[in-house]
Amino acid sequence: MLTRWNEWDHGLRALEVLRRRMDRVWSEVAEERGAAPGVWPRVRLYDTGETLLVQAEVPGLAEKDLRVTLDEESLTIAGERKEEAPAGWSVHRQERAPLRFTRTLALPCKVDRDKVTATTRAGVLTITLSKSRDAQPRSITVIAA
Amino acid sequence: MNATNEALATEGARTAEHVAVRPAIAPPVDVYENADGLLVIADLPGVAEQDLDVRIDKDHLLIEGRVGAPPEGTLLAADVRALDFRREFLVPRGIDAQKITATLTHGVLRVTLPRSASLKPRKIEVRAA
Repeated sequence: MLTRWNEWDHGLRALEVLRRRMDRVWSEVAEERGAAPGVWPRVRLYDTGETLLVQAEVPGLAEKDLRVTLDEESLTIAGERKEEAPAGWSVHRQERAPLRFTRTLALPCKVDRDKVTATTRAGVLTITLSKSRDAQPRSITVIAA
Repeated sequence: MNATNEALATEGARTAEHVAVRPAIAPPVDVYENADGLLVIADLPGVAEQDLDVRIDKDHLLIEGRVGAPPEGTLLAADVRALDFRREFLVPRGIDAQKITATLTHGVLRVTLPRSASLKPRKIEVRAA
């Protein structure tokens, strides 16, 4: 009887693995289609020790189309992509994202509001934020006692 | 059942094959058409001109863009990893492959595919006889 239960258990586990694999397939399909589930621009946040680095994918936007505002603990990226649908062309397929956006990101630590740089290159906005003094990594000297 | 179990057991070994391939996602595109030809617009953020490959092979248009190396540091949060872009289209007949042009501005690629001159729609004058 005990063995039977084990087998049943095993079968359940196999189903569970199958279900998880199906989930993965769906997310892969979504990824392949480049589906951005509702967020724009897509953002990545890096910690480089003394600075925080924010990368936002803003294809089609020039410097003048972007507004970046900074609070002590949040960063807001706003902008507008000008209508690009050319006149006199009929549309076959339109997948590219909406044209007006605002996104606010909570920062993981306080930053120095005076030391911020923002650059765009190839449709990627890179914002470098200096962590405030309290948030900087500090090395502590170990003294023999 | 046994066969399934074995298959599941070797799953870990088989997933390794994915590592060899550089993963790529399909960029969102707009496709337009008029009497002169087709226009394909694709969002390829992070792809520099030298890392972009637009190729036409018979009736396949291939767009491939490689993104640069990620910045140093720890990735704390990401909506999507910085992946390469790849997308392929079937080009309809009557496109002049020699005259295809492409431009890349602020991470947006525009490929213009003009129709062959002989296949363009032509208005025929009707004359009174």
